[in-house]
Amino acid sequence: MNLEKVIFSFFMILALTLNFGFFYGEIDDAQHHNVYELFAVIVVNLIATVMKFGDKSQMGAMLLATSLVAMVQLIGASIVWVFAVHIHQTGLTPGTVSTIVALSGGAMLANIISVILLMIEASMFRR
Amino acid sequence: MNEVTSLILRRMRMPLILIISVYSISILVLTLIPGVDDNGNVWHMSIFHAFYFVSYTATTIGFGEIPYPLTEAQRLWTVIIIYMTVITWFYALGTVIALMQDKTFIAVSKRSRFRRDVKNMHRPYYVVCGYGETGRAVVDALLEEHFGAVVIEILEDISDRGLNDTLEYVPNLTADASDPAMLEIAGVDQDKCRGVIAVTASDETNLKIAISSKLLHPDVTVVCRSEYKEHENNMLSFGTDHIINPFESFTSIFSMALHSPSMHLIYEWLTGAPDVSLSSPIDIKPGHWILSGYGRLGKQLHHELLKKNIRTVIIDPDEKTRETFIRSDHADDQFIIGTGTDAPTLLQAGIESAAGVIAGTDNDSNNLSIIMTARQLNDNVFVVGRQNLMSNELLYSKINEHYRKSRKNKNEDISALAHLVMQPSEVIARKIRAILIAPLLIDFIQYALNEKQEWANITISRLSAVVGDNPPNIWTVNIGKDKTPAIAQALGYGRRIELRHLIKDPVNHDKNLRCIALLLKRGDELILLPEDNLELKAFDQLLFCGLRKVKHTMSPTLRDLSILNYVMTSKNEPQAYIWKKLTRLLSTQDRRSSRR
Repeated sequence: MNLEKVIFSFFMILALTLNFGFFYGEIDDAQHHNVYELFAVIVVNLIATVMKFGDKSQMGAMLLATSLVAMVQLIGASIVWVFAVHIHQTGLTPGTVSTIVALSGGAMLANIISVILLMIEASMFRR
Repeated sequence: MNEVTSLILRRMRMPLILIISVYSISILVLTLIPGVDDNGNVWHMSIFHAFYFVSYTATTIGFGEIPYPLTEAQRLWTVIIIYMTVITWFYALGTVIALMQDKTFIAVSKRSRFRRDVKNMHRPYYVVCGYGETGRAVVDALLEEHFGAVVIEILEDISDRGLNDTLEYVPNLTADASDPAMLEIAGVDQDKCRGVIAVTASDETNLKIAISSKLLHPDVTVVCRSEYKEHENNMLSFGTDHIINPFESFTSIFSMALHSPSMHLIYEWLTGAPDVSLSSPIDIKPGHWILSGYGRLGKQLHHELLKKNIRTVIIDPDEKTRETFIRSDHADDQFIIGTGTDAPTLLQAGIESAAGVIAGTDNDSNNLSIIMTARQLNDNVFVVGRQNLMSNELLYSKINEHYRKSRKNKNEDISALAHLVMQPSEVIARKIRAILIAPLLIDFIQYALNEKQEWANITISRLSAVVGDNPPNIWTVNIGKDKTPAIAQALGYGRRIELRHLIKDPVNHDKNLRCIALLLKRGDELILLPEDNLELKAFDQLLFCGLRKVKHTMSPTLRDLSILNYVMTSKNEPQAYIWKKLTRLLSTQDRRSSRR
């Protein structure tokens, strides 16, 4: 067992599960989408991205790309949140909530691809 | 991904993850600790505010307690945040700085810069492997002829030191050139790469370079330095184009000097040997020769002397060498055991009546000592010296001065201490220069060797009439569409162009350019010193010798049809459409006014 692989996969799968947790629920209901969950998704995704740095293989490049896509989506979602709550101070209307959740949904898709790639890579290493 | 960025990212993984973790914990806890707003209500920092707060605290900017004064509990956590985050930042910065000074990192970034420079090379270039004395001379010659050069040298201090004194930037890599991957990085497989010059100190490395270069890029010209026969054969079998053995090269120069001093002078002068003046041919008197040092060079030189039926006395300290010498066929010559550095040995060898002395050991101090002693005993003797290291050149010139001083009162014209100096790296560099820059020069020399001494003397007087005391410049003109479009066009019209037209000054028809055509190559036919009225044909190759600037002065004649017309007819013809109309108009007006 390779500890590095364990930690690596742990963060990638955690990113996906947390992302799913945030995404799940009525799309425009602020009650179903916790801000701390979004925070956790962003942090775990950031860590997962940094862990993929510097891998020169084709698979490494693909994994990094999916993570970067997820980051763009999630940071977009958080910016929307900041705009709604702090800058315009309109609060979380159903419209903003659905925008935020939709963006996190896109990030989730990227995270799913990332986990699929991880599984493909794992299945290639059959000893 | 770039090697350098990938290396930075990989090293930065840990510090970045640490920063992210510390930030997220700080932010999370900040949002959970209850605060008090200005009305005394319970207030929780939002994630956005917490992120803002941690960002300016972690980077030690410290805007203060925004938006409301913190409670004691929040302050306690802030203290923890400060120490945690600031230390983490220092750790991250430290990692970056350590990386910048890392040997591997520096090597990798140098290599990637080298790779980029080679890729951006916009002119044809040569890859020079080994930046020793020879390599340096070759690079200088290449730059002078406006070729690009790329250097691979295994010793770091050499490539750093040497390349700083060339004015032009030369991409250089500290690496083992026998590694094919390094040759690939140096761009051997690129289209713009014209050739590979392997002049490292080791024959084996040169051989490996030759093999890998030919495999990487079969069209590339490969020039190799080699000191041993067995390596040469191996190199040949891999299609190496030119193999240069310093001993053989010098032997052929020596043989040329024995055969025809004037021819030798022409060769030295044309190949750009330093301090050669056309006015001072060497003078070899009849008599026997003394050869000190019977190694690789000594044996070959002895062979040349035998061919000319010149009696030789050999001096060598090695008893075994003597035994093998006696067993060989040409044992008629005398063999003396000794170093030749002392007067008794030289006297025994008959220095007083000798025509020449060769100091050919592989030790520079011994050679100098032999030369000094020999010249003290017999001042008229012809001296051939072998200089093994270029760094000893200073010694050679110093001893020259010393010798001159001690003889000053006699008021004699003392020529250089050694008349002929064999300097391996210089001999090789000159030959490579000729091969790369003027391949026809080799043909010229080989062909000219069949000529008599008188021919060489006439050539010398013609050359010195044109060039005078200036250093010569050699260049090749290939008649064809690419290099000489004007001539190709005129030939296409069926006009007769003679050699004398090219030599005319394109500015002043009455003057000739200060250059001389040494050789014309037409197919397999070679014409030495072609006549002025020789008709030129397409695909002729001409070798010119003249002043440096003449090469450029001649170029308009070759490229511009109107200038070619001018040198052929001495008339200026209008070129542009409007100017043609105008001249016609003016000439008709002239006629009208003259009629009135």
